[in-house]
Amino acid sequence: MAAITTTAGRRAIPWGWIFGLGIPALVLARIYYLVNVVEVRDYAFFIGAMVQSLQLGSLYALIALGYTMVYGIIRLINFAHGEVFMVGAFISYFLFSGAPFALPWALLWSAVLAWGVAFILNLWRGSMTHPTVIAGGLVAFAALTFLLSTFQVNWVAALLLSMLFTGVLGVVIDRVAYRPLRGAPRISLLITAIAVSFLLQNTGLIVFTRNQTPFRPETDWTAFLQFDVLGGTVYTSRLMFLIPILTAVLVTALTLFVTRTRLGKAMRASAQDAETAQMMGINVNRVIATTFLLGSMLAAAGGFLWGLNFGSLNQPAVMGILPGIKAFAAAVIGGIGSLPGAVIGGLLLGFLENFMTALFPRQGDFPGLTEFKDTFAFALLIVVLLVRPSGIVGEDLSEKV
Amino acid sequence: MAKKLFALLAAVLLGGTAFAQGPVTIGVNLELSGRFATIGNATLQGIEVAREQMSDALGQEVELSICDNQTTPEGSINCAARFVDEGVIGVLGPISSTMAIAAANPLEEAGVIMISTSSTNPATTQIGEHIFRMAYTDDFQGKVAARYAADDLEAERAVVFRQQDDDYSFGLAGFFAEEFESLGGETITLDFVSNTVDFSAQINDARGFDADVIYYSGFCAEGASLMPQLRQQGFNQQILGADASDDSQCPVGGGEAFDGYILTGFGGADVLSGDAAARAEDFAAFFDVVYPDAADFNGFTLAGADSYNVMVQAVNNAGSADPDAVLDALQNLEGYPGVSGDITYAGTDGTPADRTIAFFQYSVPGADGSEWTKSSLFGIGTGQ
Repeated sequence: MAAITTTAGRRAIPWGWIFGLGIPALVLARIYYLVNVVEVRDYAFFIGAMVQSLQLGSLYALIALGYTMVYGIIRLINFAHGEVFMVGAFISYFLFSGAPFALPWALLWSAVLAWGVAFILNLWRGSMTHPTVIAGGLVAFAALTFLLSTFQVNWVAALLLSMLFTGVLGVVIDRVAYRPLRGAPRISLLITAIAVSFLLQNTGLIVFTRNQTPFRPETDWTAFLQFDVLGGTVYTSRLMFLIPILTAVLVTALTLFVTRTRLGKAMRASAQDAETAQMMGINVNRVIATTFLLGSMLAAAGGFLWGLNFGSLNQPAVMGILPGIKAFAAAVIGGIGSLPGAVIGGLLLGFLENFMTALFPRQGDFPGLTEFKDTFAFALLIVVLLVRPSGIVGEDLSEKV
Repeated sequence: MAKKLFALLAAVLLGGTAFAQGPVTIGVNLELSGRFATIGNATLQGIEVAREQMSDALGQEVELSICDNQTTPEGSINCAARFVDEGVIGVLGPISSTMAIAAANPLEEAGVIMISTSSTNPATTQIGEHIFRMAYTDDFQGKVAARYAADDLEAERAVVFRQQDDDYSFGLAGFFAEEFESLGGETITLDFVSNTVDFSAQINDARGFDADVIYYSGFCAEGASLMPQLRQQGFNQQILGADASDDSQCPVGGGEAFDGYILTGFGGADVLSGDAAARAEDFAAFFDVVYPDAADFNGFTLAGADSYNVMVQAVNNAGSADPDAVLDALQNLEGYPGVSGDITYAGTDGTPADRTIAFFQYSVPGADGSEWTKSSLFGIGTGQ
């Protein structure tokens, strides 16, 4: 509020309008120039780039939501989130491919996750020794061991189960690594998050695989698709429908959950002021566990779609790093702590990465911007932090990240 | 450093006789984990099968000291340091040029013989007189691929995909482009880095160029992502690869996108002639007995086996385990009957004089109902 009163005397410059209309206008002008003046591209090419941007942006948005939710509630940059995304992708791979998951590792994972299931139930039942909690844990253990070690499911079930498992893993990470540090300085929490990230990377190397892994579930959604438009051909696949639609469904479900349910209301209350929320009778630990559950579920969905989109998964130690920090950048660009901000940031990043390289192609001696592809996210991050540190839709940040 | 000095001092004091007492130890520095693990393990199996066939040198058992460099240059240097400490008689591997160049410098400095099984970058053997290789070099490999593209495929415009952070890929792409251009073709080179999964930007660059052949000088880890994306984006041109694609990770990881993919690689029994073909066939049969379920039997397996064979042969020729004598024997090796053809180091920089490169083609799914098959088209000798 203070900012508004001090600038009230001057005429405010409508930066929002200038950027909102100016940048698309520049992009269109550049497209017109490339197509009609130098004739190195056709319009169909840019429609293809648009489709790709939407796919990639949706993936970033799904991961960014996890960062932003956790930050909103416990003010933690969860650096392990990129690795949670990796675990989600690999679990779905093991479920749909029927690739052997060595029994000892299946037992270990199942034990960890069954404990997570029991812990989640305990948040409602009140005690780890409650019969429902113990039964839930045992059933989860048996089911998980069976699923991971021998069972093969179709891709929809793999996606849903992987979301479930990864969600539980998120809760376990919170319980084991973050909850004991609730009162500790924020830097301890941050370092712990980095430690969890390394732990998951190396566990992934041992448990999953050391190699690049093909990711081809039996589905028609990856079939190639070509259509002629505006005198050119757009090359894409049916994923151009699946990824944005699935993302929209998940984001809508999340929004409905946060705005329409009691637990969602409790989440918003805890995000505003955790202590006061606790005084009003809200079980904050339950709320935080829910946050990790939902954030990790979205990351798992992102991981599955990522694999589908690119057809293979990088080895576990590197797979989560770049998507993870890019999605984190997206969350900050959109305004960390804000759900619409994460989606907007993710989509913006998807468009930025595809259009920067599409708009400045290799021409004569100019090598194009292809090699700088991975830097755009961070360049934009720097610009946003300098110009508008709270992000595009974020509220004023009183604390530094 | 002190350790190295001590080892050197010990070697000087004890002389050659000290080595002859114990078993003959050969170091094996390979990419057994990490990105090139499938190739590294194929090579190791080749070395082990060769050892089954010929387990003695100078009447003593040959022992292998195996070191996994984890497909990192640092790991490779660590392995080299370990071998210098152990006082091995020679080192086999690494397979890739990046790791080979990293290990070659400390080994050359310490005066330890190294035979890289399949490093093809010309720079590797130029590091010093102790550094040998079993493969041909990339200027040859790039040239034959370019000639094949220009003459047999009648291509005029080539897109070259190059992995910027790898010595092998970077060098090979250059040799291909150079030869292809000198034959009147046009090329563009598109760069990517290791662990890339999203090639949309490179593919967009390729789109404007209207190529009629695609040359891929990288490895399977990235190729398995790139080829399906190329096919999806409407590129149906012939794709040519190099020996790094001679790896089951390619057809397994990339699936049907590798159907019809042609690659150059280390020639086996199909393309060798006369006695060499018979030896290669015998070796393949013996390999099948030792490793019936091996994921790969390819050029890397043969290169591994022959590196071991010439190493042991050099020790036997020298008549002692004295490093200088063994080096001398290796440098004068002529016409050794290896399983990948005759091997001659006499008068070369450490690259065997006559190697046979083969053109292979993948079929996915395979002809006989298997997941994939690899058939050889023809072979070309380095002499030709």
